[in-house]
Amino acid sequence: MNSNMKTQRGIQRSRNTFFFAALIALGATLSAQTDGKIVVEAGRIITLAGEDIENGVIVIDNGRITAIGPAGEIEKPWDAPVVGGPAFTAFPGFIEAHTSSGMDRPNENFEVAPFLDIRDSIDPVSYYFEDCLRWGITTINVQQGAGCVIGARGMVVRPVGMTVEEMMVRPKYGLKISAIPKRGKSRSTQMQSLRYAFDDLRRYLEGLVEKERDERGQARREALFQGRDVEGEKNKGRAMGGTAWKVDGLEIIPRGAIDEKHEPLLDLVEGRYMIFFHCGSPIDVPHAIEIAETNGFLERTVLVLDEDCWKAADAIAKAGVPVILDGGLVDQRRDPLTGEERETFVPEVFEEKGITYAISSENWNDRSLWYQAALATGLGLSRDKALAAVTRTPAEILGLSDDVGTLEVGKFGNVCLFTGDPLSVTTWVDKVVIEGRPVYDRADDVRNRHLLEGVTPQGTAPPVADEGDEHDGDHEEEHQDEDEDHHEDKDEEHGEEHQDEEKEG
Amino acid sequence: MLANLSLYLTVLAPTGLLAYTPQTAGDLVVVRAERLILTPGNELAPGVVLIEDGRIVGVGGDLATPEGARELSGKVACAGFIDPWSSLGLDPQSVRDNATNPAVRTADAVDPWHAPHLRLEALRGGVTSARVQAGISAPLGGIGVLLGLSEADSPILLEDACVSATLGVSRPRKVDIFDRISEVDRLVGLIEKGRAYRESQVEYNHEIEEWEKNVAEKEKELEEDFKKAKKKREKDLEKAEEKGSEFKEKRYREDKKPKRPKFDVVSEILARVAHGELTLVVEVHRSAELRRLLTNTADFDRLRLVIVGATEALDHVDALAERRIPTIVWPAPIGDVRRDEYSEHDLSLAGELERAGVLVLLGGGGGPHARELRMLAALAVSQGLDRDGALAAITTRPARAFDVAGRVGALKSGMDADVLVFDGDPLDTTSKLLYCLSKGEVVVE
Repeated sequence: MNSNMKTQRGIQRSRNTFFFAALIALGATLSAQTDGKIVVEAGRIITLAGEDIENGVIVIDNGRITAIGPAGEIEKPWDAPVVGGPAFTAFPGFIEAHTSSGMDRPNENFEVAPFLDIRDSIDPVSYYFEDCLRWGITTINVQQGAGCVIGARGMVVRPVGMTVEEMMVRPKYGLKISAIPKRGKSRSTQMQSLRYAFDDLRRYLEGLVEKERDERGQARREALFQGRDVEGEKNKGRAMGGTAWKVDGLEIIPRGAIDEKHEPLLDLVEGRYMIFFHCGSPIDVPHAIEIAETNGFLERTVLVLDEDCWKAADAIAKAGVPVILDGGLVDQRRDPLTGEERETFVPEVFEEKGITYAISSENWNDRSLWYQAALATGLGLSRDKALAAVTRTPAEILGLSDDVGTLEVGKFGNVCLFTGDPLSVTTWVDKVVIEGRPVYDRADDVRNRHLLEGVTPQGTAPPVADEGDEHDGDHEEEHQDEDEDHHEDKDEEHGEEHQDEEKEG
Repeated sequence: MLANLSLYLTVLAPTGLLAYTPQTAGDLVVVRAERLILTPGNELAPGVVLIEDGRIVGVGGDLATPEGARELSGKVACAGFIDPWSSLGLDPQSVRDNATNPAVRTADAVDPWHAPHLRLEALRGGVTSARVQAGISAPLGGIGVLLGLSEADSPILLEDACVSATLGVSRPRKVDIFDRISEVDRLVGLIEKGRAYRESQVEYNHEIEEWEKNVAEKEKELEEDFKKAKKKREKDLEKAEEKGSEFKEKRYREDKKPKRPKFDVVSEILARVAHGELTLVVEVHRSAELRRLLTNTADFDRLRLVIVGATEALDHVDALAERRIPTIVWPAPIGDVRRDEYSEHDLSLAGELERAGVLVLLGGGGGPHARELRMLAALAVSQGLDRDGALAAITTRPARAFDVAGRVGALKSGMDADVLVFDGDPLDTTSKLLYCLSKGEVVVE
């Protein structure tokens, strides 16, 4: 047991070292190529905005695409580095429409917490973001999970950068609301909390206005009594906007006087936030629509749906809101009367009803967007539609169409170079360029090689399992700290030994 | 919601259980029966019901069939049954939730997608509406709903039918006598608080009106005197300057604005309960709690109480009868009785309460299986409940107790066309339900 523990710790440590080595490698490529020009060459470019281009060239300058077309027609800047080649297929990066991955602890404690921000929770060194590059995902909408009533503000990020600021594409992007009962709640109590949040906002604002009016009234009367001239009105605010309910007289309250718990909700009612409304069952859909409609943010609402929510497709179509599929692509249910299994291919239902839908990877590690698109194609969705559901459509839903989703002049230079067709099982992402920066190259992906080829990168080998009998169990428990230090030394020694061996070999 | 019905119909149609005939607006249906029960004890033989646009437009002994009308006939016809104690059609998690409070809306738990077959089974048992409740065994349940069981676009007949509470109900363990008694005190305390809350609101409204009037008058006065006050101030300022002393503004005083009572979401609801705007449904079984409840609520003269369960209610028939408190009994066969508080349960309870003058209602025990209601009523009849009383206990009385007597529970012009047609007496369990109409639509035939 003693030696086992040591081995485990050793592996853990070597993993960390290894991880940082990988990150430093990534960081180095990043800083080397900022904002410059770059040319991407590919045997085929799938632009998703018209015909594919055979033997094409993409010129990216200052983060955005400045030219795209067949090799002969495009002038390549002489001073730009070139990425890719005829063996590759260029593809716009995938867009993760909605995920709760990549966070260190998201809020699951506060029921109503619109004052929180995902920014404080995103973990730039999460494996998830590293994996996104391997999967060809270049834009990610990170939102809190459904364990809330009103959750934190989300953020759109790119999966590169050592800090959240470097990763940021759009800060404060959207707010999470859940119709799914939070732990300890049922549908009825969840809805009660949700309604209460907005009732409470209204009462709070009315209270503020009333207090301000009373104070002004009294000040006026005092001035009249004392024979002073009435002072001019101060504290100018802004009248309440939005399309739903209004609180009269809000213009006398400066916006800065509204506390941080209510301010984001007011923004919401005034239609200044995008809402990701999580629905776990068809009944949640009319509930979500009702809440959004009565509080004036239906137009900015995106429903995040579990698989059986397709049953409420008519209500969704009527409300005209886009959806993100966060459950399986196929809904399997047993009929309570006949016992018959019924399978429903969810995208097909939304397709028929004319509902805009994006497919997400459902927070699974083994169902990335290319897998999802390929699966959807296999289940009967046309290739174009399946690809759109993981690129163009999520860009539209997220309001990022000007930047991402297709390969066109003016958009971000986010390009994935596949070794073949993006939906084929035998191809992989070989290189990724994000906003003109080559951020991923499979040849330099040490962890990938470690996993697939068994090649141990230099300086990252785990220590040999049995370190001998220097310590017995008691000793280790008594002098844990000492032992730790000791161990670290040994790791380093060991690493060096290993390097030497390799050199010799 | 339209989608819901068509959805569950597509699910059910292949099973052959439901032959659905959609009735478009303006459709006419005529029901002819050898015996037409308008309300229990008030019958026509023979009788005809005319239905148009989902409503009853005429009832009579011999009405001609209008052109183009669909004619349905059978031996006996009566109004659709109402289960006053049910959780049918609700999200099960919300039903089981024991952390509810009186402001929780059962309407939010109505889930048309959940187990639609149970609703169909209820319709096949002649039950066309039910009083359903989120947090059905919680100390304080939410605002109950009167739910139509087949309506496609608007299944809710009444969104705020009642508020529910339970006293001494095992969830799941037994509750000892002191806890049970303190549960009664807590409930009565809440009603008291609700009453005081409403009073403080009323008082505040008076005070604020008066205050605003005074302030407006004062302001007018001050405006009139302003020039004078200004001159005086200037004079005083000069004086102070001459003397070299500090100038002090006159101190202004006015009546303090009355303080608005603090908003409390639970008291808002209990104020309505204390003032009889919402019925309070209390599940209580044992004699001790029931006695304390009846005694301690005696001076709330506007409170509308409904007792549910009532296993040991025979000890208190006088109070129940005198205050005309509707009492919902579940004449459950043995085997359905699981909880300790039912140990004294007797099938003859309904009959004995009725004979003692108590207003008896029959309910399905709070589960989702409303289909058994007719059987339970028949069982109660076999154990001594009067036949008309049993029928009233599942039609007119629940309709009245939950404020929907103007819409369901009887066959009368202007009411929803929830009509049952049998080939025999409705409370004879062997008679077949030929047609079940809900809002004029034939949902079972």
